[in-house]
Amino acid sequence: MTTTTTMPIDRSPRRVRAGVAVLLAVALLWTLVPLVWMALSSFKSDTDVTSAEPTFVFEPTLENYASLFSGANNLGPYILHSVLAAGISSVLATVLGALAGYGLAGSRMRGKKHVAFWIISTRMAPIAVVVLPLFLLFRGAGLIDSIPGLILAYLTFNLPFAIWLMSAFFSQVPPALEESALVAGCTRWQAFRHVVLPLTKSGLVTTFVLCLVFSWNDYAFALVFSGPHSQTLPMAADQLVTQTGIDWGQLTAIGTIVVLPMLVAGLAVRRWLVTGLTLGAVTGE
Amino acid sequence: MSLTATTPARNAAPPQRRGAPRRSRFGFHARMMAPGILLLAVLSLIPLFTVIAMSVSQVRLLGGVSFGFVGAENWARFLTDVDLALQWVRTLVFFVLTVGLEMLLGVGLALCLWKLLRGRNAVLGLLLLPMFVAPVIVGLLGRFLTDSTFGLYHWLLGLAGFEGDLLGGTYSAFAAVVLMDVWQWTPLITLIALAGLTSVPQSIREAAALDGASGWQALRSIILPSISGVLLVALLIRAMDAIRYFDIIAVTTNGGPADATKVVPIRLYETAFRFFDLGYAAVIGLVMLAVTVAIARAFVGILESKGLTR
Repeated sequence: MTTTTTMPIDRSPRRVRAGVAVLLAVALLWTLVPLVWMALSSFKSDTDVTSAEPTFVFEPTLENYASLFSGANNLGPYILHSVLAAGISSVLATVLGALAGYGLAGSRMRGKKHVAFWIISTRMAPIAVVVLPLFLLFRGAGLIDSIPGLILAYLTFNLPFAIWLMSAFFSQVPPALEESALVAGCTRWQAFRHVVLPLTKSGLVTTFVLCLVFSWNDYAFALVFSGPHSQTLPMAADQLVTQTGIDWGQLTAIGTIVVLPMLVAGLAVRRWLVTGLTLGAVTGE
Repeated sequence: MSLTATTPARNAAPPQRRGAPRRSRFGFHARMMAPGILLLAVLSLIPLFTVIAMSVSQVRLLGGVSFGFVGAENWARFLTDVDLALQWVRTLVFFVLTVGLEMLLGVGLALCLWKLLRGRNAVLGLLLLPMFVAPVIVGLLGRFLTDSTFGLYHWLLGLAGFEGDLLGGTYSAFAAVVLMDVWQWTPLITLIALAGLTSVPQSIREAAALDGASGWQALRSIILPSISGVLLVALLIRAMDAIRYFDIIAVTTNGGPADATKVVPIRLYETAFRFFDLGYAAVIGLVMLAVTVAIARAFVGILESKGLTR
């Protein structure tokens, strides 16, 4: 679709095209070298990881991954905590966000602008500012070092994000479709559930994936709220950094485990990323 | 498809349903909004009132949380805190450098991708990857790559004649955390700018070509102005995020060396969770919140003046 609009560019002089190719190659190197180096290092033995001359040819080993899942520092619970905290908070945010986003998009109430502004301000509130009062409130409620505490903490940014974004997706659905469903005798709920909601399936998936990425990658909340019973994966990486030194082999292995699922999830919703990451302000392609 | 799914419902629905609906005091939309909005109110207003209360209190944690009212004491301290003013300046410099570089590189890359006809989606997909990497991992990976004994980038810089501990020097440490942020967030600008570029109408570009505009002229006076709206959106989103994030600095330099990278969020964490001066931390936090809300106001203002929002 987009190729038709870019046809005239073909007339660019050859040196422009060569320049473009060189610049993009440099950008790809800058982008990918750290990630590839991390993945490579996770398969290196300790001596290869910390050799003064970078080793490009090495005997691959799984010992870093093996040691992550055996002995005292088993990564299993960390993975479970991350999946639970990020997963449940993202599901809750997406479900509540879809309902509220639909309501917000269709509502004609007075003061709607103020509600919308309050929602986006909540999303953008600096995490450090939210951590402070939640720290006191959670201490009082016994939510420190618990998965429900982390889920609530992640909802503080995921819920407003989901409401706002779903509202943007719902406002792209032509109102005539819903109206004709109502004329055909559907209840409001049926029209929402069977006509409007299926049309925003991509919006739902995008919202869920972005919520998942934000909460899976969280460090600021986990740093303050998680303890032995609720440490998440980013904390596992953080804990390998000790006064006596860092086991870089294991750290790159954890890094690979943390990063890989999010890269896959993020690319899966690439078509709607522009809409998602600009909170509906820009729609692409 | 979705319409056929409703046919049984149509048959089942009694005909008087629409004629005499059960009148609720609140409309359908309000009822749909209620669960999410109420939960959000709980999650945002209670913390907001708590942090305001904290800002006029001395908060004690031992033997249960207790607030001792101290009036404007924390706020008075804020007005004379030279360190904090410096940290705000540092935050501003950090913001200008990161976002400036990200805008330049991001728009540049978007233009390159725009000129690329074959493989554009594959290249874009690869360039987007850093956005999904946990910032903690970005920071730790940055330490790994710049380590002064075995870091890959340290070794490369060594070949170019630069020696020394990158995260140890004040300027090089600041540059390093800026570059880590640039690595992670330039793709966002690329993505947004490319979306803007692909929506520039072909007719406009053809008209410029017919008028004999050179590539550079067309870029400066036609293409860039027509994506200025989306670039402004990108700028505001990065501005709000730049105040939000602190993970990268926290795991690389944690404000050091010699406070060279101590931006406001780092200062807040230190005040709150190292010195447990929660009252003063609340003041710092409320000021951060005010700045963010001001930027959010501008963001919403742009959305409302439609036309930009395609």
